[in-house]
Amino acid sequence: MESIPTDRPEHPVFYAGRFSEEVSGAGLPGDHTVLSDWEVLPAQLASALEPASILVVLDMFSFPFESLAGDLADVPLILLLPTGLDANFLATVFGTAAFSRLGYFDRVAAADDDLWDELRRRYDLAQGQLVEVEDGRPEHAALEIRAALEAESMLYAPLGEGAYEANTYWSERGDALAGRAPHRAICSVNHGPKFNKAIHRVQEKALSPQFAAARGTQAEEVPFDVLEIGAGVGRWAASFEPAKTRFTGVDISEGMVEAARKNFPQYRFDMLGEDSVLPYGDESFDLSFSVTVMHHNPTPTKRALISEMWRVTRPGGHLMFLEDFVSGGWSTTSTVYPMSVNEFVGLLVEATAGQVVLEHVESIRYQHDDFTRGGLLSVSKLGVARTW
Amino acid sequence: MSKEDFYTPTDLDRLRMENELLAFEVRFLKARSGGQPEIAGSPISLSRMTYLEEAETDLKLLLRRIQNSPLGPVARTNKNFRTLNERYLKQPDKAMGMSPAQRTVYLEGAERDLVLLLRRLGRGPLGVVFSRRKSFRTLQERYL
Repeated sequence: MESIPTDRPEHPVFYAGRFSEEVSGAGLPGDHTVLSDWEVLPAQLASALEPASILVVLDMFSFPFESLAGDLADVPLILLLPTGLDANFLATVFGTAAFSRLGYFDRVAAADDDLWDELRRRYDLAQGQLVEVEDGRPEHAALEIRAALEAESMLYAPLGEGAYEANTYWSERGDALAGRAPHRAICSVNHGPKFNKAIHRVQEKALSPQFAAARGTQAEEVPFDVLEIGAGVGRWAASFEPAKTRFTGVDISEGMVEAARKNFPQYRFDMLGEDSVLPYGDESFDLSFSVTVMHHNPTPTKRALISEMWRVTRPGGHLMFLEDFVSGGWSTTSTVYPMSVNEFVGLLVEATAGQVVLEHVESIRYQHDDFTRGGLLSVSKLGVARTW
Repeated sequence: MSKEDFYTPTDLDRLRMENELLAFEVRFLKARSGGQPEIAGSPISLSRMTYLEEAETDLKLLLRRIQNSPLGPVARTNKNFRTLNERYLKQPDKAMGMSPAQRTVYLEGAERDLVLLLRRLGRGPLGVVFSRRKSFRTLQERYL
């Protein structure tokens, strides 16, 4: 079976701070840099992190988290939890500066399961954000983290045989990567975590205000029912407040669904069958959305999914699509089925019998592109609810 | 199978689709700000307006091409052709000063005229000649 040759541009930068001598002498394999506390002064930090595919902070106490702004915020983090300290202490010292800023592409390395569980609960972290280490001492943890990163970048994703077939390709790719390299299972499989975190940041910037707008003036006591099509390992579930949201995700990959359930046990994740029929009743959700799912599917599948999303969304609720609307010609080997925004809107109108109102349009340019590729469309569903 | 998820579109397709996307966004923003109330909030109107504007452009290009071809002098003897010429080529700025409602009516008229012209050209004695041209076949596929 042919496979995607995963890229190996991995160049982890280890911030060792006070432990730089020990970590430098630990014999870390492969390409990497070890920084001491002198090398992360504000004037030097940008150049020190320039080659970083990921930043591993081994000494949280001396790292200037407040300096990670702008483009530096795109460097994924792995924070090694200091040993011998409890969750209350860590939350007091690092809560605002570090833990509350962690996004889905940032992770925590912990040797203490209980400590991880406590912090995970407090900061709504996903299980996939944990890097397990047996020894929490920086020089030993660095070796384990380096080995884990190397293993992730070595994983191969199956492509299937012959021409691209969406269901086969995405279920096989999801099953291969979801459990062992969840951060590569989403966005672009053959790019590093820094690239994917940057993609996610651009998408999040467009989506977050629309998620808030979709919730609108709904009372906080009323749960906000959200459905994501092609939820993968559940990365967008982290964008909603668990106390106010009932999040549901569907995916065609069993591996993805299992990983998502582990990541967000408080939410629901289900398998989507090849018939694209959503296993939910009519008018069950306030918001149904998909992120870069539709453009990977042929028109009949797109039509079926849109129709189903419309069916399960309540009147007055929202449907959102963040997709690529700019692409080249279709070929049997491409994983993308090109459809311009006008063609997509035509399909949307057809699949919903025109019972939608356009609420928001936003073009999206990713940082690696020299042209505008993506777009976010938000529509609300017309009609009167069957039940009040 | 492609080894690159982030595919590279061909320039022509990319430009067309990118223009479409940006034009769609601009049209939406105008509608939201009250610039074109007739299309406010309706995805049908938005995509339809874009389609109609493309039809108007295609009609103008087709008329210009006929006029500048060897058939031009013959075509100009036809009253219908002269009417179309007058309506769409000799008053290019007329549509710009129209109200949104008038502009919609004008664009729908342009679409109808384009369809009639394509049918007539395709069925006439020179239909076979026209049908050999790829650009003519593209227009036929798009509007007929």
